[in-house]
Amino acid sequence: MNLLNDNNALTSLAELIPTCMFMAQAAADAVASSEVLTVRSDKWTLSMLIPIVLGAFGYLFIQYGVVKSWAATLAGGVAFGLVAAISFAYTPGTFESAILMIFCALATGGGVGFLVAREPVYAALGFATAVLSVCGVLFMQSALFVAAATMIVYAGATIIIFLFVLMFAQQTELRNYDVQLNKPAFAVTFGSILLATIAICVTSANALPLTRIDSTRAMSAADLPENLRSEAGKLEAQKWDAIDPNLRHIPNLTAGLGRSMYTDYLIAVELAGTVLLVATIGAIALAQRTTETQT
Amino acid sequence: MSELITQNLLVFGGVLFAIGMVGFLTRRSLILMFLSLEMMLSGVSVNLIAFSRHHQNYQGQILAIMVLTIAACEAAIALALVVSLYRRKATLDIAVWDELSETLIPKVAEEPQSLSEPEMEFPKLTPAGLDPLSRPISSNFDAHSNENGESVKASTLEASIHA
Repeated sequence: MNLLNDNNALTSLAELIPTCMFMAQAAADAVASSEVLTVRSDKWTLSMLIPIVLGAFGYLFIQYGVVKSWAATLAGGVAFGLVAAISFAYTPGTFESAILMIFCALATGGGVGFLVAREPVYAALGFATAVLSVCGVLFMQSALFVAAATMIVYAGATIIIFLFVLMFAQQTELRNYDVQLNKPAFAVTFGSILLATIAICVTSANALPLTRIDSTRAMSAADLPENLRSEAGKLEAQKWDAIDPNLRHIPNLTAGLGRSMYTDYLIAVELAGTVLLVATIGAIALAQRTTETQT
Repeated sequence: MSELITQNLLVFGGVLFAIGMVGFLTRRSLILMFLSLEMMLSGVSVNLIAFSRHHQNYQGQILAIMVLTIAACEAAIALALVVSLYRRKATLDIAVWDELSETLIPKVAEEPQSLSEPEMEFPKLTPAGLDPLSRPISSNFDAHSNENGESVKASTLEASIHA
């Protein structure tokens, strides 16, 4: 039995290596053939599908027990990372985009770890890694407040979930429902089809809408009439006005976000507060130990 | 340039969403299903932020904040539900709570399955006697005669083996 496992692991490894070499060759060819290094997006659409399929098969191999040894899993993970890195390597690199890609890779790795891990504690660790890396991605996209809020909310939530996992799920022996999963082949097929569709649609040429800087609608309070501008935001508003409209980038100023939130989206904020209140009441009511349930 | 980054981020959001969806469909533990749901939501927020950056306005960020609010509500309610469900049946298995589902398919009692199969261990015997590979025995071997063909006693044979 053991020998058979090792053989399978070896064959899967042996299949992975030519795939990697093929990918590297294809990438080198594509880079060499393109005159300019600004690669058109339709060239890397198909190369993105390879890591998707590879990852799906790797996940199925692990779930069905084809690959059991840690070494084979690790080798497969490294090969998957290489292939994914090659398929994303076309993105023209600045320092900022490199950091962004590193955060993306960390988050994806954490997600894969979350998916693969059997022990609930490791799964929660993978989830924490993924969410914190997503915060980094948001930070690099100049969404500072959202990144900070996500970090606060998820850090609190993740600590609570760790407590829950330690309370409920931490057993010396793995429970049956942690080991036997619910129809992994169906889920992986569905998920990889969805992901492939997303990748093809998003990366096809002219998929993105043109950048729309709408000056007719109030995007931030800077575009509102003067009497609505608060005193505190005046300085930023004047700065914003001073910028040439063609060169306006989104100001990574939390003040602008706050102004926009409390002027344009005031009702949404009120509704969100109401939903939070209702959820708090509901959570307390649900978690309360009533006399009926107390046996 | 920035369009490529936006496209990559959209793919990344799709990856997170797909990971969360696969986790939600396959996992059977209540807490891990809830974590998968959160991962799907974070993929959605990545999308929103990418488009906010793309269009250079605040609308996507505000929508992401709304998503965050709803995620916080959902976390509170889901954990309260997990606590109250665990109090009833002392398990996190989602399959325990299928009393309302269709009974067309008969329930199969599942066997406990462990990850690592116990390896069979064969007892190791201590090697005994002569190694026939290093000292092949000729076909006309006579146990009572030595190499020169002379008949010897058993005790001398033992002595010759150990020598």
